[in-house]
Amino acid sequence: MATDGILKVKNIETLYGLIMAIRGVSLEVQEGQIVCILGANGAGKTTILKTIMGLLEDQPDKGTIEFMGKRIDGKDAEEIVHLGISYVPEGREVFPELSVEENLKMGAYTRKDPKGVKEDYNRVISHFPILAERKSQWAGTLSGGEQQMLAIGRALMARPKLLMLDEPSLGLSPILVHEIFRIIKTINGEGTTILLVEQNAKMALKISDYGFVLENGRIVAANTPKILLEDEDVKEFYLGIRSEESVKGYQRWKRKKRWR
Amino acid sequence: MIKRVSVFLCVAILSTFLLSTQSSAQKVRGVTDTEILIGQWGPQTGPAAPWGAVARGTDLLVKIINEEGGIHGRKFKYFLRDDSYQPAKTKAIAKEFVEQIGVFAVVGGVGVACGMTARDYLMENKVPWCGPVTGVYEWITPIQKYLFAIYPLYDDEAFNLTGYLHEKLGYKKIAMFYQNDDYGKQGVMGVERYLLKKKISLVAKVSAEVTDRDLSTHALKLKNSGAEAVIMWTMPTHAALILAETAKIGFKPQWATSNTLSDSALMMQITKGLWAGMINSFFGELPDSNHPLMVKYREWHKKLAPQERWGVFYYAGIIFAEPFFEGVRRAGRNLTPETWISAMETLKNWQGIGPPISYSKPNHPMDRQGGKHVFYGKVKPDGNIQRLTDWMQITK
Amino acid sequence: MFGQLIVSGLAVGACYALLALAMVIIYKTSEVLNFAQGEMAMVSTFVAFTILDAYHVPFLWAASLTFLFAILLGIFFEIVFLRQAKDPTVLGLIIITLGFEMILMGFAGWKWGPDQRSFPFPVSNVETYDIGGLLISKINFWTIVISVVLMFILFLFFRYTKLGIAMRATQQNPLAARVMGIRTKWILSFTWAISSIVGAAAGMLIAALGVLDPPMMMDPLLKGFASGVLGGMTSLPGTAVGGAILGIIENLFGGYISLAFKSVVAFAIIVLVLCIKPSGLLAKHYVKKV
Repeated sequence: MATDGILKVKNIETLYGLIMAIRGVSLEVQEGQIVCILGANGAGKTTILKTIMGLLEDQPDKGTIEFMGKRIDGKDAEEIVHLGISYVPEGREVFPELSVEENLKMGAYTRKDPKGVKEDYNRVISHFPILAERKSQWAGTLSGGEQQMLAIGRALMARPKLLMLDEPSLGLSPILVHEIFRIIKTINGEGTTILLVEQNAKMALKISDYGFVLENGRIVAANTPKILLEDEDVKEFYLGIRSEESVKGYQRWKRKKRWR
Repeated sequence: MIKRVSVFLCVAILSTFLLSTQSSAQKVRGVTDTEILIGQWGPQTGPAAPWGAVARGTDLLVKIINEEGGIHGRKFKYFLRDDSYQPAKTKAIAKEFVEQIGVFAVVGGVGVACGMTARDYLMENKVPWCGPVTGVYEWITPIQKYLFAIYPLYDDEAFNLTGYLHEKLGYKKIAMFYQNDDYGKQGVMGVERYLLKKKISLVAKVSAEVTDRDLSTHALKLKNSGAEAVIMWTMPTHAALILAETAKIGFKPQWATSNTLSDSALMMQITKGLWAGMINSFFGELPDSNHPLMVKYREWHKKLAPQERWGVFYYAGIIFAEPFFEGVRRAGRNLTPETWISAMETLKNWQGIGPPISYSKPNHPMDRQGGKHVFYGKVKPDGNIQRLTDWMQITK
Repeated sequence: MFGQLIVSGLAVGACYALLALAMVIIYKTSEVLNFAQGEMAMVSTFVAFTILDAYHVPFLWAASLTFLFAILLGIFFEIVFLRQAKDPTVLGLIIITLGFEMILMGFAGWKWGPDQRSFPFPVSNVETYDIGGLLISKINFWTIVISVVLMFILFLFFRYTKLGIAMRATQQNPLAARVMGIRTKWILSFTWAISSIVGAAAGMLIAALGVLDPPMMMDPLLKGFASGVLGGMTSLPGTAVGGAILGIIENLFGGYISLAFKSVVAFAIIVLVLCIKPSGLLAKHYVKKV
């Protein structure tokens, strides 16, 4: 792995009160790649993103985060957005009583170049034509898929160098999931680095250049999708493919993960 | 054995109690060789705070008397407590006066509802109370041995004022604007009593709640009644509001009002001059009067309390306390509630800067109603008062 | 009489609406009912009075300085009192506003005394305009005009400026707002500042209509609250309409049914609205899907 990653996370530990949610995680994202973090519910995926984004006060407790060669741990979200990281939170989190257009406008809140904002607005509309149709509608009245598109579009309005997506497939129909992932790939193709957190490991690995597997706040595996897809544990626990079928069906409880 | 010891202890403790009460009973509460303690409550904060000046006026009189050497070798210690015009607080203050401070008497005290929560308690504890600062029947019915009222009765005042408007000034269409509480209602009572006697009725009867701040509808009702004269029985705020609202719609009757609104300087200021022309009753000398006592008090005021405005409410605090001190003077060196009461009952047409005061042995409610007189004045455009009458007896 | 009742109802309703707007702006942001709103406005009005009385500057100057004071007062309260609350609950914050209300009331009583004063407003409160036979006093007329203009400015601000939209965004989803790089704490202080300005404007108008003294805002604040409830507590146009309706209903009720119960109308309306249509008259509040 090269060492000039756009994002370098080293040994971070994040506390929620007295509970340690992240226990010494290191990861690196190369410029221009799509990197995914896989993990079950409660593994700490969202916490990593929030820590990077500076949304958790006084966190990380330990460790460092570098973005484009600059330390960003301890900075607040406003500065981090300004530096070029955008975050699409889990569950969309659009502004329900702002119009679609106003939502997009808020995405460019920290920017002071109206011309560039206009360009990006057109770019977002080209990715998500439906948003143009719904332009003056309240965001809260959109369907789940449309809200996800809006959330991604809104994040793009900041013209980020790194786009972090938290469970973009959550609660969407398979067709929409495909659509969203296709767009993510397109966005990446236009030069935006992407850090993706997903439970839908199959879809995520399909478009990613690199993957991390997170369990109980620790990275337990890291490799290219190709290798990860062959991994027995990933196969069984994240892709739902069982190597041997048991008659009674209790095998998954018996099998031990090797990385533990 | 244990039983006997406990009985002995009980007896010992009980007798200590008995002894202590006996020995203190020989003393008079609030009176020492050199000092007499008196107290008053009055709103220093909250909506009724302008009336709280009364309690500070009493403080001035206490200071004057102390400066002049006290009475019969004793000086006065005055306790002023803020009840914010909240009866629950007044009750607590009355308890503090009796049980913690141990005052000889209560002087003044603003508010009907406030005073009512304290009245029975003070009477049970035989605390002399001179001059509650309202003119309602509650102070004299039922008749109380220890309570001496001074303030002329609103009912009689309103009765007489209506008579003045009707007989002397010839107004026939009279309307009433009043505050919807005990104070306002006793005013209405007097006005209606007079009109009933003359077999005419009010052309309009409009009330406002204490908290009302928008009186435009009230003004319209008064205007539509076609009244020639309107009697108002309200707080200063409402008086100002109703004058502004009626002026807006071009309704200019002859206004007349109670002595509670006789602070013309204040009223002229807050009504931006609309107060001029008001017929007002007064229960005390006018602020600029050259009555010798007024001259003397004004001089002391400049010396002792220059920060206070010489307003009617302020020196009303003197009016309600003067008879109390006269009673102390007449009671002599042996001051007890009983000797003070006997002394008060010798007051016959005694006058300070307020109305002539008379009391008698308590056979009839009016024997405890000291002030029975007011006089009328008309507010001149410059805010001064043109005196229309001399002191007139309003209560028979 | 009917026309007069409507006009004066509108004038007083405009004041209610301004106060209600001040409350609603805060309520929308933090779900806190600011019971100190009235006293903040009262203190601001006293500041205006002091400036006018002591320095005899033109009214607009005094008003501008007062708005500046109101901004500082709002920010001061938010930073010094509310922000310090540890693990704040909405109820806890409401209690803090109650405490602040008492502090301000005490302060005003101490600083300016309890006496009533007349507020030197440049418009006469006695002279009238004659519009097609309908007499409308100058002060009522200007109260309505000033309130409507202020509401319109507020509306434009929230609708079209980046800051205004950011304030709404913060109200609706503080987390997402932070993710957008909006400094939400700063936005909250700013919300208090705007609310305080609107309150101060209402205070000056109410003092001009009546008299100036420490308890002057008690009744209008309750009425303002009723207007807010009528408008649903979240919608700005709803609140404005709520104020106007309340002022008119109150006056018509007082004029034709019972003056003694006129003040009770506001409370009856609160109860009725809460029972029948708690979301208010005009609110089309989006209910977040869980």
